[in-house]
Amino acid sequence: MSEITQVLHSLGQGVGSAAEDLLPLVYGDLRRHAAWRMAQESGAQTLQPTALLHEAWLRLGRGGHGQWQNRAHFFGAAAEAMRRILIENARRKARFKRGGDLIRLDIDELELAVTTPDEKVLLLDEALERLRAKDPEKATVVVSKFFGGHSNREVAQSMGVTERTVERHWAFAKAWLFQDIRSHA
Amino acid sequence: MSEPGQEIGDAELDRDEELFTAARELEPAARREFLRRECGEDSAAFARIVRLLDAEGEAERFFAESGSALTLTNMRLDDTIELRTKVGSGEKGEETVGSRIGRYKLVRRIGEGGCGVVYLAEQESPVRRLVALKIIRLGMETRSVIARFEAERQVLAMMDHPNIARVFDAGATERGAPYFVMELVRGVRITEYCDRNRLTVRERLGLFVQVCHAIQHAHQKGIIHGDVKPSNIMVTMHDGQPLPKVIDFGVARATEGQLTDKSQNSGYAQPIGTPSYMSPEQLAVSSRSVDTRSDVYSLGVLLYELLAGKTPFDGQRLLEAGIGEMRRILAEGVAVRPSERLASLAPAEAARIGAGRRCALPKLAALLRGDLDCIALKALDRERGRRYETANGLAEDVQRHLHDEPVVACPPRRLYRFLKLVRRNRGIFAAGAAVAAALVAGLGTSTWLYLREREARERAVAAEQQQAMLRQEAEIRERIAQTALLISLERVEQADRLLAGVALEGATVEGAAVYRMVGEWHALARRWDAASDRFEALLRVNSLDGWDALSLDYLRCGPALVELGDAARYDRFREAAILRFSGAHNLYADRILKVSLLVPADPQVLARLRPIVSDTERAFAEAEASQDPFPAAWRAVSLALWSLRCGDAEAALRWGRRCLAYPESNASRTAAARAIMALAELALGRGEVARADADAVRELVESRLRGTPDLGNPMNGFWFDWLFVGILLREAESGLRP
Repeated sequence: MSEITQVLHSLGQGVGSAAEDLLPLVYGDLRRHAAWRMAQESGAQTLQPTALLHEAWLRLGRGGHGQWQNRAHFFGAAAEAMRRILIENARRKARFKRGGDLIRLDIDELELAVTTPDEKVLLLDEALERLRAKDPEKATVVVSKFFGGHSNREVAQSMGVTERTVERHWAFAKAWLFQDIRSHA
Repeated sequence: MSEPGQEIGDAELDRDEELFTAARELEPAARREFLRRECGEDSAAFARIVRLLDAEGEAERFFAESGSALTLTNMRLDDTIELRTKVGSGEKGEETVGSRIGRYKLVRRIGEGGCGVVYLAEQESPVRRLVALKIIRLGMETRSVIARFEAERQVLAMMDHPNIARVFDAGATERGAPYFVMELVRGVRITEYCDRNRLTVRERLGLFVQVCHAIQHAHQKGIIHGDVKPSNIMVTMHDGQPLPKVIDFGVARATEGQLTDKSQNSGYAQPIGTPSYMSPEQLAVSSRSVDTRSDVYSLGVLLYELLAGKTPFDGQRLLEAGIGEMRRILAEGVAVRPSERLASLAPAEAARIGAGRRCALPKLAALLRGDLDCIALKALDRERGRRYETANGLAEDVQRHLHDEPVVACPPRRLYRFLKLVRRNRGIFAAGAAVAAALVAGLGTSTWLYLREREARERAVAAEQQQAMLRQEAEIRERIAQTALLISLERVEQADRLLAGVALEGATVEGAAVYRMVGEWHALARRWDAASDRFEALLRVNSLDGWDALSLDYLRCGPALVELGDAARYDRFREAAILRFSGAHNLYADRILKVSLLVPADPQVLARLRPIVSDTERAFAEAEASQDPFPAAWRAVSLALWSLRCGDAEAALRWGRRCLAYPESNASRTAAARAIMALAELALGRGEVARADADAVRELVESRLRGTPDLGNPMNGFWFDWLFVGILLREAESGLRP
């Protein structure tokens, strides 16, 4: 816990990519928290990732160190963590449907038109990695907005760009990702 | 036009994005033309962008559909917690049917609950019988899960009650998974049993009372069940009579702390149990104070459901609302009386519920109205103190109702008591009703009953007052926690309302954060009175943070007070700040120095600031020596302001220039330095230069104010840094006016 506060503090000082350092710390906690909550609720319940992130922020980042800019940065890293959790979840669901252990979806085998939402998410995730290789900034916007459920304003704050930029990247990235998936299928 | 933050970006991709963005703005008809012009020779680019534009609609749909998968449905512990199995296993690794564990042979799986799986098993010796065997799911042996399992086992072993499932045995499998063996309860859940067999209201109450007794037994052993709900109460047949049995104490907590203390709380205030059955305090953010009355609440929900066929709060709606909303609904919502709930149902449903109770609807509502309504609502009260203290208390009230005695839950009224009297003595009254009524209603029995009650009430009040004080403090803390949650969900207005009327004197980490956030919210909206209130409260409450964070809080409060225009208050603030920060050699003295000089100060104040000035000078020297421009530049600002207020304008200018000379400029700091320099130049009679500086600062401030106000960051200045600048600028500009 104190590790996280240290990282949050250094974020406050404006020190570089502390957001990445934050990721492993946040990830473990988020995962446990999410899974724990699910285990307590029987049946097929849905859990809103954003609510989870807000709660996690309260637990991990509150207190005298609750400086706003830290929150924005926290959410950036947390969105990435959330993405991994959601992808794991989608992968597992897809695996059950098709049987066997799937590390990667075999895109050639899938007909785009009949993919389930989970499979769509997995396809998006792979395309996202391709986008990240070309343009990390656009990819980060997608992660924050799509997996983290953040508003344009929150993303802008956490990335240090304008809201307009966020909108631009988001609109473009969506089209690009879809086109990329289609071209590979 | 690339953003400063961008490092690597693919140049082609950026250009594509530019074209794409621009083309989108145009009418569909004009797009191709535009692109043809822009792309010129580059036909590949043209094709790419056109494809992207065409794909936009489908892309949107694709994302929308994927979005529906972005939920954590069915996420299970075994998939996501690091595996620590003793024998490494690739599969899920459950025990297989037919395998033997000790002297039990697994027959078949009968259910899942909490973190374990329940099997039907055959016990071989010393007695052949069927039992229920609950094992921890393999692959999940994390400490907290095992601890909880151990706890459950111990808990159940302590119970000995006909309405609680017995524990016979416990052990560990070969693979190390703990298990325990319980009485096999073959039956159906209580709500189902009652509906299927169409039990009347009286019959249901009979079963309910037994459940209360079971829970009471547990309470007497120091155990809170924590998850009382229909699926945990099975009804089985015994000697031809229905017998309810409470199972699954999986989330039980010991009130006497006997159970293993490792990982009882994994640090989270985790809401445990089923939402529609959970008491408000169980869902609370800072719940360390769940007690026997939480079980009473859950029993209340059960009673409600047995009577009215529905739970007081719609379970599905709660789950869909997400946890924050759920807390709010349960904490604020008022349950509808069971009799009224019936009235609001659709006819088909109402008929079904009536049938399940062998009672037509209007009559059913009449039955529930009065006693049963009151009992249920009392058990369901959001305020713990107003519920029944014990499960037995609840049971007794139900029994009073069954015997036509006055029920505690109902408000005492003479007529009420009289009616009860009549009902109890139907025979007598039926005969000489009119006479009897005259006799009793005047004096006698009902008066006597009333007086006796009053005595008891007076005694209760005294005790209650003592309790009230303790409760109030707990409630305030709870309120702070709720406020914090609301803020995290950006419902600051609601948070502020909650905070109003809270007088928290002691320091809490959460309290400080909350006051800060709400204060800043007010400040951004320029509500200086409210902001000052919150910040002052913050300064009183905040004694847990280090000097770094604390001094920043002073930087928040000071400018707000100046904007408010309350000179006396600002003076008091300044005094308090100086007092607090003189003494220890303080690295952050410069912040206090500058916030104390937002307004010119008289010689006494200046004298009192001397120790703080020394600290600042010392800190400045250190920063210079270690070549750390960031703090050095900031300290220079404070020293510039100090010089100015002491009347040494030349020194102020020197400090100012020094500050500006540092690399890594910071807009708010630059602005502050120049504003101070403008004031210095003004003091030296150099009007022109002063005006130039002031104008430059004005421009910086304006550009910062463009766009939505936000809290800022250390790189470009926080809102209070800019407020600081604004105040000095105003001073300069008023000095420049002809």
